[in-house]
Amino acid sequence: MGTKRSWEGQPLELYPQDTIMAEAESESAPSAPSAPSILSIFENFRDELDEHHDRRERIIKKSRDITALSKKIIFALQRVRATNQPLPPKIAQENQTRFNQIHELFEAVVPEQLGINGWRYQRQISAGIQEFIEALSFDHYLRTQTLITHAECSARIPSQILVSEEDYLMGLYDLTGEMMRFAVLSLSSGNASAIQAAENTASESEKSTVASSQGGIVVDLRAMRAGFEALSLPPRHYMFRDMAKKMDVMQNSVEKVERAAYGIVVRGSERPSGWTPDLSGAVEVASY
Amino acid sequence: MIDQRIFENLQTKIDEESTVRDELHEIVHTLARRGRSTQAILSRAHSTPADQLKPVLDDVTKEILAQKEEVARLKAVADQHPFYKYNGLWTRELQNLVASIELTAWLGGLQEHKGPSSTSFMTIEDVGKFLDIPVNLKEQDAFHLTIEEYLLALIAMVEELARLAVNSVTLGDYTRPMQIGNFVKELFAGFQLLNLKNDILRKRSDGIKYSVKKIEDVVYDLSLRNLVPKDNSSA
Repeated sequence: MGTKRSWEGQPLELYPQDTIMAEAESESAPSAPSAPSILSIFENFRDELDEHHDRRERIIKKSRDITALSKKIIFALQRVRATNQPLPPKIAQENQTRFNQIHELFEAVVPEQLGINGWRYQRQISAGIQEFIEALSFDHYLRTQTLITHAECSARIPSQILVSEEDYLMGLYDLTGEMMRFAVLSLSSGNASAIQAAENTASESEKSTVASSQGGIVVDLRAMRAGFEALSLPPRHYMFRDMAKKMDVMQNSVEKVERAAYGIVVRGSERPSGWTPDLSGAVEVASY
Repeated sequence: MIDQRIFENLQTKIDEESTVRDELHEIVHTLARRGRSTQAILSRAHSTPADQLKPVLDDVTKEILAQKEEVARLKAVADQHPFYKYNGLWTRELQNLVASIELTAWLGGLQEHKGPSSTSFMTIEDVGKFLDIPVNLKEQDAFHLTIEEYLLALIAMVEELARLAVNSVTLGDYTRPMQIGNFVKELFAGFQLLNLKNDILRKRSDGIKYSVKKIEDVVYDLSLRNLVPKDNSSA
């Protein structure tokens, strides 16, 4: 019969020491627990986690609905052709209905976001808020040609729901995409007033027919770009993760509009009526 | 017209937040450093026979108590801000600490802090009481230990126990793998009660079954060779 050996090659026996150890063990490591106790603890955990997941999903659903409605508002606003004027009644009315629906959705989220849960589910509602701010700021810009402030955004959302600076900032980034699309669409449809706006910057050298009383979209976009670029963020800031990407898209948008304005200034005088500048390259609009 | 004040205000807010973040970060950094030394000491348990564990446990307890002070410091600062806003900064270190506490308690340390419950591990309430922090707050917005953090810490402990089962055998201790086997199987049964969604808890708890298998393999090897101590043969 062979001898059992330990890994060191020592002959192995059940030393009496083992029993001593076993005793020491049973002293130090508590004796086997009664099963129902562990199970009841975990049942309690299960209920808590279920509640958390359910709430989380309800919020995500609402957030998606808010996003969808906001996108519709933005699409409707892209049909507008003039800035700094009241919106055409039809579009204004359509959007009012949607704003009301969004408001109801936000109201429905309020009970889910009370107290500590505000930040707990911030990430879930955040996408909806960002898209809503994009719609709201675009609407605000078209009517007044100014940027909506953070406080004004918060005022449009039930006070219990957090509107973080991040959401606001991200909404503004997306706004630049909408402004670009608006400017480009206006140019390609040959609409005079938007071209005036775009042309405004160059109007001294170019004997432009119009000196728009307001700053043009190009000027505004440039100012926004400068503002965005001046922001200094701490490195590895988790809240601004997708900032770099947004920054890229935003810079592209600004350049696209700048090129469009350039096209009008350079070739504008020889432009036959109905001519539209060549805007080669796909029109990218950030849509998150 | 773009009002540049909008961007100036944003910058102010971002700066304010960075200050808070830096302050918390500094504490978490200390907590992490102490946590590593706790874990270093605790890993000596893998090479120490059960009857000589006492000095190791004493050393670990000292480190854990030092970490507890850092947690108190963290709590004082974190309580001034929304909990879930900054929770991500310290959650990892807090989990590591709780895992160390649980493992120490399982090995026989920190016994005076275990509650009267019949479980062989420290319940979330026990841990909260020991660290002097609230647990599972649902209304009040204050620093606390969340259920998820506690469960993740238990999973980390299970992984460590799977390693300990193997190393116990190497040390010639055939009793401990049985105890570990029983305990982990019970915990595993508990985890199976949870309805997990696709999140970190799901990912980590999927790993328990591998730990269970590792331990069962050890138990199997011992049983096959008749090395299971008789008084524990029920395992």
